Amino acid sequence: MKCPTYSSWFRERRLDAVCQILRLPAVMLSQIPGIGPVVKAASTTVGQKILMAITGLLLCGFLVTHLAGNLLLYAGAKQFNHYAESLHSWGILLNVAEVGLFTLFMAHIGLACSTHAMNRQARRSQYTQKESKQEPMALPSGGASGWMFVTGVIIAFFLVVHITDMRLKKNPFIDYSPAYQNGPEAGPDEFVAVRLVLTNWTAIAYVIGLLALGIHLSHGFRSALQTLGVNHPRWNRLLEIISLLFAWTITLGFLSLVTWAAMTSGTSN
Amino acid sequence: MARVASETLKSRVPDGPIEQKWDKHRFNMKLVNPANKRKFNVIVVGTGLAGGAAAASLAELGYHVKSFCFQDSPRRAHSIAAQGGINAAKNYPNDGDSVWRLFYDTVKGGDYRAREANVHRLAQISNNIIDQCVAQGVPFAREYGGTLANRSFGGAQVSRTFYCRGQTGQQLLLGAYQALMRQSQLGKVDICARREMLELIVVDGIARGIVVRNLSTGQLESHTADAVVLCTGGYGNVFYLSTNAKGCNVTAAWRCHKEGAYFANPCFTQIHPTCIPVSGDYQSKLTLMSESLRNDGRVWVPRNAGDPRHPSEIPEGERDYFLERRYPSFGNLVPRDVASRASKERCDAGFGVGDTRLSVYLDFKHAIDRDGEDAVRKKYSNLFHMYHKITAENPYEVPMRIYPAVHYTMGGLWVDYNLMSNLPGLFVLGEANFSDHGANRLGASALMQGLSDGYFVIPYTIGDHLATSELPEIPEDHPACRKALASAQNRIDRLMSTGGKRSVDSFHRELGQIMWDKCGMARNKAGLETAISEIRDLRREFWANVRVLGRGSTLNQSIEKAGRVADFLEFGELLAMDALEREESCGGHFREEHQTDDGEARRNDNEFMHVAAWEFHGVGEDPTMHKETLNFDHVPPSTRSYK
Amino acid sequence: MSDEHLNLTLRIWRQDGPEDRGAFRNYQLDNVSPHMSFLEMLDVLNEQLIASSEEPVEFDHDCREGICGMCSLMINGQAHGPDRATTTCQLHMRRFNNGDTISIEPWRATAFPVVRDLVVDRSAFDRVIGSGGYVSVNTGNAPDGNAIPIPGTTQEVAMDAAACIGCGACVAACKNASAMLFVSAKVSQMAVLPQGRTERTERVLGMVAQMDKEGFGSCTNTSECEAACPAEISVEHIARLNREYARAALTAR
Repeated sequence: MKCPTYSSWFRERRLDAVCQILRLPAVMLSQIPGIGPVVKAASTTVGQKILMAITGLLLCGFLVTHLAGNLLLYAGAKQFNHYAESLHSWGILLNVAEVGLFTLFMAHIGLACSTHAMNRQARRSQYTQKESKQEPMALPSGGASGWMFVTGVIIAFFLVVHITDMRLKKNPFIDYSPAYQNGPEAGPDEFVAVRLVLTNWTAIAYVIGLLALGIHLSHGFRSALQTLGVNHPRWNRLLEIISLLFAWTITLGFLSLVTWAAMTSGTSN
Repeated sequence: MARVASETLKSRVPDGPIEQKWDKHRFNMKLVNPANKRKFNVIVVGTGLAGGAAAASLAELGYHVKSFCFQDSPRRAHSIAAQGGINAAKNYPNDGDSVWRLFYDTVKGGDYRAREANVHRLAQISNNIIDQCVAQGVPFAREYGGTLANRSFGGAQVSRTFYCRGQTGQQLLLGAYQALMRQSQLGKVDICARREMLELIVVDGIARGIVVRNLSTGQLESHTADAVVLCTGGYGNVFYLSTNAKGCNVTAAWRCHKEGAYFANPCFTQIHPTCIPVSGDYQSKLTLMSESLRNDGRVWVPRNAGDPRHPSEIPEGERDYFLERRYPSFGNLVPRDVASRASKERCDAGFGVGDTRLSVYLDFKHAIDRDGEDAVRKKYSNLFHMYHKITAENPYEVPMRIYPAVHYTMGGLWVDYNLMSNLPGLFVLGEANFSDHGANRLGASALMQGLSDGYFVIPYTIGDHLATSELPEIPEDHPACRKALASAQNRIDRLMSTGGKRSVDSFHRELGQIMWDKCGMARNKAGLETAISEIRDLRREFWANVRVLGRGSTLNQSIEKAGRVADFLEFGELLAMDALEREESCGGHFREEHQTDDGEARRNDNEFMHVAAWEFHGVGEDPTMHKETLNFDHVPPSTRSYK
Repeated sequence: MSDEHLNLTLRIWRQDGPEDRGAFRNYQLDNVSPHMSFLEMLDVLNEQLIASSEEPVEFDHDCREGICGMCSLMINGQAHGPDRATTTCQLHMRRFNNGDTISIEPWRATAFPVVRDLVVDRSAFDRVIGSGGYVSVNTGNAPDGNAIPIPGTTQEVAMDAAACIGCGACVAACKNASAMLFVSAKVSQMAVLPQGRTERTERVLGMVAQMDKEGFGSCTNTSECEAACPAEISVEHIARLNREYARAALTAR
């Protein structure tokens, strides 16, 4: 009888520790009076996936509004800046919305880490060879289902870049001064800022991030519906088509802005 | 050769009109007080339809049950492979069925070698089984209006067969298994999977426990109880090739037989006519194609022996539709035993087809021409698919090739009306006992019997034994337990230490060949005598030359197989001896000496209307035959004719 | 289809016991008939091993007709081998070519520990069924079978789910070793039948809790289980489990 090697022992203990840590939020939440049983039901594998689905779909909703707002770039600087200003005029409400959005992202990411860790625990020794029995690139996901965690991580990194670029305007590779030509009190010209970001070489992050988003959504949207129990032989084909259309409409919508920025760079508005 | 006991066996069938026997008997039996039930332990060996149903039902009543199976889960017992359906006298189709008709058909189908009172009880209970299974969530086929669907099966003239696609056995077994797992969760049943029974523990003449080998760890364990219920299936694998699962074996029943339980009618074996033929000497098992195929398929062989042409190129005039020729009124729908023998007769005469010349065609061309391929596909697509998968031949284009194979065994341990063997405390249910099917079983009756025994008979009759017997506590280290443990250990040690040259499978194959050639579909005196001496020689060689590798302290399938084959090597001899003694042809037992001029079976009711129950005296020693006389007061014996 | 015999290299996982680390071992097997089933090929290998005094390969099998669910095996990285809707015992050697190397591994999942060689312990499935995969009706309590009509189409859906053979290929094929297809098949069968409705809340909560306790992973909706399932159970049943679970989580008392 041979013993497992030290490194594999250590790896397993580390995985267990990660799972323990990821369980903490659920333990803490269940202390809130009145929601204990629901938190317990939500912290099973199925419960976590349902929460993933709900947060995922809410984030899809956010993407729709985000894209709708951004498409105003095509309408020109005036309209776009007006939209930006009216958003800023929400004041504290905007911060509340941002915190809400941030929470959604963190919940989605946290749940992803938690289920991912549990899934790793569920198969401690790997196959030396593993082949799919599905048709390659089968609809609805086009093979994307195996890439959810990877694309998710890419999107998370992209989010950091995106917030640094656009919200904080702290990208060290970009000179933001053209966006501040109306004086320090007036705040930045968002239209100019967007063009600055998207025409910089760092915009490559946007292409990568958005492609990852497309892949993530092309499985994620339909998958979220399935996790919420939406599956009926009469509607499945239509749902698959709608899911793919949704994923790539959003993605191409955003990507078009990158191309737009590149093609219109150097011209004034 | 065989000694015959002077006293006849008492079946303990209650008096009174046959319709009232079971009701009266249920009233007359002693009951166990509800509060006392939990003090009784019951061992159930096997988790098929009979075992699963019995273990669940006994636990529901409050007994503490230990349930054993050699598979990795109770759900895998071979009942799961039953395809066709389960009979019941519900008469939902309003086509003239009744309890009496089911009773009558079963007794007649068994060729008048079953016990009337048991069969009548079976027919009575059949309806409760359907209700119970529906309530468990078994998805029986239904009409679009929502009522249960029935089909006609196995040549029956009424539609009384309930079914779940081609997977009836699976669904019924899962129903029983789920009931069992529910009791396990409630702490009423201990599930002991991957345990194989190796010995019966008998104390003061009463069965009180078993010795099992934990197949995962190799550990021997003794388990004691107040009663032992054996539901371990049939012994078809004595023929090596059969439609049984690879693990099916006679060991549990045989160990009980060696402890004193009588083995009844072992020569009653059923050969199913429509199986996929053997394709090579590596063959490990035979696959059944449902009997229903004969509703539309026509069985034939070429008129010229060894005709090398492709079947589709052989013109009509040069084909011999031998079932239609011999049995014009029933044609391809003659019963299983008749169809099997007719196919064998043609192949023996050299007219067989295929590489091995041991198969006949089952041709759907006429049905396809008549009804269209779609209609045929609708009825049989899953079977055609299965055939295609195994043989790589498309039965829509090329006729299927089929050959008979061992399928079911009507014989088994002798039991009385209470399903208790002559050893008090040892109950035997399902295929493992001999009772209800006589010399031949009708289609869709095995599921009915297993569930009837398990759900609705044993829960009543076991109480009578427990309430009326003196059952002192048996400590773990009781001499009887130690003796049984030592005996099991000795056998394993002997197998491991033989250190011979031949693998277990090679012995099993050879035994199977002897049994099939000389004790299969057709038997005669000289052949059976040769078989007996060949089996004895083979048994000697086995114990001198078997090679079992590995250790006894781990999972070791070679040890499992070796133990089973060792028992088959003893049991096969008894089977042949029983066949030799029964000088008549009836049901699945065909003696060439006893046939009519045109080759049909000839029964001998004057001398053989009895059950032959054998008592063991030692390996190689002549056993004693105990007779149970059979009376047919309600279904007068007649000759079956399908001309 | 050719009748030519095959010469194969078999790369088989050998593991002496649950605590042993295990390793692959290569075996050469010649003259394999294409008409053999995969398990018969292993039988022949074992005869060859016994003849050379090497311990035979242990593998689970029983009915050898695709219904008992006992056979398993990861064959070239695919559960039950390359064919769809097929168990290992139904797979035939004509599916392989002369000179092939075939790799054979046991099911791998934390909930299915290896017992020896290719044999794994799947008793976790039994415990999951024991946690609610039944109708609580004692023997003798049943009303007439036709007392509750069940539309033929409903019965068909239930039968589709009930066809599960409990082999564990779904778990083996899933990248998360999730048992959702197995669990959902039973939940779904019982959820559509009126007989199963009464216990639906307790059933789904109990079975999911036990599934987690056994250490199965979660469902990422890759549908790999559906492709690997020899009984062709659809992921539609997983969706129904999810609905049942959400309903139960919000309304359980």
